[in-house]
This record gives sequence, structure tokens and C-alpha cells, in this order.
Amino acid sequence: MIEIRDLQFRYRKHAPLVLQGINMDLKAGEIGVVLGKNGAGKSTLFKNILGAIKPSAGTIMFEGNDLLKLSNRERAKKIAYMPQSISFGELSVYDTILMGRIAHFGFNAGKEDHAAVENIMKDMHLEDFASRNVEELSGGERQKIAIARALAQDPKMLIFDEPTGNLDIANEQLIVEETRRVAREKNIAVLISLHDLNQAIDLCDRFFFMKEGRILAEGTEEIVTEEIINETYDAHVRIVEIEGKKLVINLGGK
Amino acid sequence: MSIGDAFAALAHKGTAAQNRIIWNIRIPRVLAAIIAGAGLSISGLIMQTNLNNPMASPSTLGVSNAAVFGANLSIIAFSGGFLDTGHNVASYGVGANPFATSLMAFIFATLSILVILGLCRVRSFHPGVVVLAGIAIGAVWTAATTILQFYATDVGISAAVIWNFGDLGRATYQTDLIMAVTVLIGAIYFMIMSWRFNALLSGDISAKSMGVDVNNLRFISMLLASLITAVCVSFLGIIGFVGIICPHIVKKLLGQDHRYAVPASILSGSILLLLADTFSRGIGSGSALPVGAITSLLGAPFFIAVIFSKKGRMQ
Repeated sequence: MIEIRDLQFRYRKHAPLVLQGINMDLKAGEIGVVLGKNGAGKSTLFKNILGAIKPSAGTIMFEGNDLLKLSNRERAKKIAYMPQSISFGELSVYDTILMGRIAHFGFNAGKEDHAAVENIMKDMHLEDFASRNVEELSGGERQKIAIARALAQDPKMLIFDEPTGNLDIANEQLIVEETRRVAREKNIAVLISLHDLNQAIDLCDRFFFMKEGRILAEGTEEIVTEEIINETYDAHVRIVEIEGKKLVINLGGK
Repeated sequence: MSIGDAFAALAHKGTAAQNRIIWNIRIPRVLAAIIAGAGLSISGLIMQTNLNNPMASPSTLGVSNAAVFGANLSIIAFSGGFLDTGHNVASYGVGANPFATSLMAFIFATLSILVILGLCRVRSFHPGVVVLAGIAIGAVWTAATTILQFYATDVGISAAVIWNFGDLGRATYQTDLIMAVTVLIGAIYFMIMSWRFNALLSGDISAKSMGVDVNNLRFISMLLASLITAVCVSFLGIIGFVGIICPHIVKKLLGQDHRYAVPASILSGSILLLLADTFSRGIGSGSALPVGAITSLLGAPFFIAVIFSKKGRMQ
């Protein structure tokens, strides 16, 4: 689905490279997680894919097409995004989700746009929220509305930048389950960044460990080892297995 | 003139003087209040959304400061005037082209807009950069005006200061038409783009990810909003606060959805300026007080009531 090859990015002409030749593949229905310290280049990578900034070198192919040559509107029909901290403006939940249809309707929503929103709301059990002011909802509910808005774009790939960063455990679980459901049921590729390694192990299929603008290691859960985590985060962790599931414990220090 | 006389004059059934007062003075003035109020209010709304800044106003790009410099240059350096307000020094600028000052004001206001938007187009369209560039360029125009006024004669400086007071009495059918066309073009564009302005409320990256061409939207809408302001200020002088107060009242009462906020801002701006002008003529015992001061006097208490009310409480 998405193939990133030798992607490089620097903010100014002679500034150091923030992304130093990223290679990445993700298929439909897969959930890929980008893991790394703050400043490793995760958000910069996402911004490049979203077209918010232009790569200094490299290619991003999406279903065989050069993503960098697509207009914002065409790209929005393929890739949707959910930032870490969400602000919507004081709109109703229904209108907030309908906003996700902008790339499809142009200037004013038509019948098919309203039908799409109604389907998504039904699917995600959001009907009772329709007329509520989205700014008055809880953090988890707002995050769920952001997922609904992203789905309204009818995308083939979702990019979530630390979606559970500001949430309590219950809401974290809500978002994790919603993300999994979306990927599996709708066969949508999800690229996500998370700080919680255990959450990443629980949710994701592919792991990309990033450090200083490079991918240190990538693969399935098997590559999640104490060595690679310690190297990525300059940390000291231990991995134990409980009921067949990996559990990362931070021992502190180096 | 009594209300009955006014209605008779509206139907061309008053005395010749009454008909002239209503049709040549009052109606152009009322139209100017409706059009300029709408234009300044809608420009303020669009600036606030574009710059994600509640303090943004129609003059954020230094438009008013530049217009003041242009007008001062015309009045002080070229003795040109647009001073048929009844307050001016009667002999000053006699024989000058009545549009000279407005034209100079508009030229400098447009120059200011183009310099800032041009710089931002080349370097960065980050809202913070635009606001700072506006403040910097505005300061340059203010400094230039101060230097100009330092060398002005007493008559020149008083004429220039009087120009700065917003005065709807300068409006004619011709100026109303020019303002109306500019405001209409802006209003149509802002209405068409209302969903995209809604998307901007989620931030630039989110808006782009939803398919909005953020840079183009910001460039065109700020250009239109600033041109509307430039035209209104050039013809009428500075009318402050309408562009800040009305969009805020609308957003507090109706929310931020631009499908409603754009028409509601148009309506509230027109109503506020019309009320302010009526009030300014009512309490001025024969001579109208500066309408810009009245908009603030009338609007500010209402504004404070709205922001502290339950419905509109600031978070």
C-alpha cells in the first residue's frame, strides 16, 4: 500500500537532516507503530506523508502512485490524520464528522456525504452525540470523534500521532480497540506513534524503531527485544512474558 | 425633521430641502453604516480564524495605519482633502479632488497588505509571523505619520486628525457602491469557503490532511478581508472595534461554524454601526460625534456582558 524509500528531510538548506533515509512498507489492514524518543523524527515523518512539509529527497508511493505529486484534496481521499491534541472549534459532533467529507464535497455537503456520516455514527454508536458541542466532550470522546472524522474521509490509510497521549486508562483502551476494529474491519492501514510500548505490543502488527532520524529496526513483534528498546530509548528495560504476552518493564537508569 | 417629515421625504413628498437631506445625505450615510459595518465585521471574523488569534482585527496587516499615513500625506503634503464633514477648517483644501485623500489612503493600505502578504508568501504563512509582520509594518506607518505631522501646519494637523475620526457623513452613493461591491465579493468568497474555514479551526496540518489548500485559502481570504478594510477606512476613516466585537459576539452566541458565523457577522456589524451612527448623531446636539468612539462605547459593555454570560463564558 505505502512504500517509503530513502526519505530525507531537513528544515533549511544547510541544516542537519532530521530524516536520514527512511524506508518503510505498510500493507492494507496492517497497524504499524513508529517508536522512538521525543525528537527522533516521528512527527516529521508523518508531516512528510501528509504533505504538510516537502521531503528533501526520496519517494513515497501509495498504491503505485507518487503521493508527493497529489493535490491536498486527492491525498485527503487516501490518507486521514489524527493529531495528538485535537481542537475542533465549537461545532456539533455531526458537523465535525461531516467536515471530514470536505475533500469529497468541495463546497457543500450532498446526500452521499450525509449518508456517509450517518453510517459512521451508527457504526461507532455516536448517534446520541450528534447535536452535542464537540468541545464539551471528554478527551476520550473527542478522540473517538476525531477517528470518526478521519473515517469520513473514506481513507485507505490512517495516521495517528500519539492518540492516547492525554487519556486515562479507560479511554486509552477505548481508542486502542477502535483503532484495531477500524484496521481489521475496514482493511485500512494504520500508522501510529505511541509512547507506551506495552500498548504498542498489544495493538500493532509492525514495529519501526526510530532514532535520530533513522529506522534502527523494523519487523513484527519478534524484533521487540530488550536490546533494541534500550538502544532506541537509551533506557534500561526488561521484557517478561505473562500468559504468552510480552510485557516491557522499565527498570530506570541506563 | 420629524419622523413624519422623514417618511414624506422618503416618498419624495417632503419639501425640496427635506428630500435633499434624506436622499443626498441620510440614505448614503445609512447605506455606508450597513455596508461598512458588515465589511469590517466579516473581515475581523476572517482574520481571527486565519490567524487563530482572538485579538486579530481587520487592521491586523497594518491596513489602518497605512491608510492614515496615506490620508495624512494627502492632507498635509498636498493640501488635498475629503473633508466635507462640517468639522473641518472650511477653507482648507478647497478645490482639491474630493477623492484624492481616499485614493492615497487606499494606495498605501493596499501597499501595506501586499508587502506583508508578499513577504509571508515567500517565507512563511505561520499565523504568528503574519501578526508580527503586521505589527512591525503598522509601526513603520505610524512613525512615518508622526514625522509627517511634526512638520505640518496647525491647519494641516487638525484636518489630518479630523480625517482619522471615523465619519459616515463622508459617504456618497458612489463610495457606497464601491464599498458594497468589495464587501459583496468578499462575503461570497467567505461563504463559499465556510467549510474550509471550519477546518482551519482544527489547525493547519489537520486542515491540510482534510484536503484544504491552507496557504492559498489564507492568502486569498486575508487579501480580501484587508481590501474590504482598506476601502472602508479610505472612504470613512478609522472605525474601530466593530471588527473585533461583532465576530466575538457572534461566535459566543452561535458557535464557530462559519456557515452561520459569516452571515451573522455581516448582520451584527451592520446593526452595530447603524445604531452607533444613529446614537452619535442623537447625542451630538447638531454635530455627529466620531462614530468609531461610539461603536466602542456601545459595543464594549454588551461585549463584556456576553463573554461573562453563562452561554458565552470564556474557558
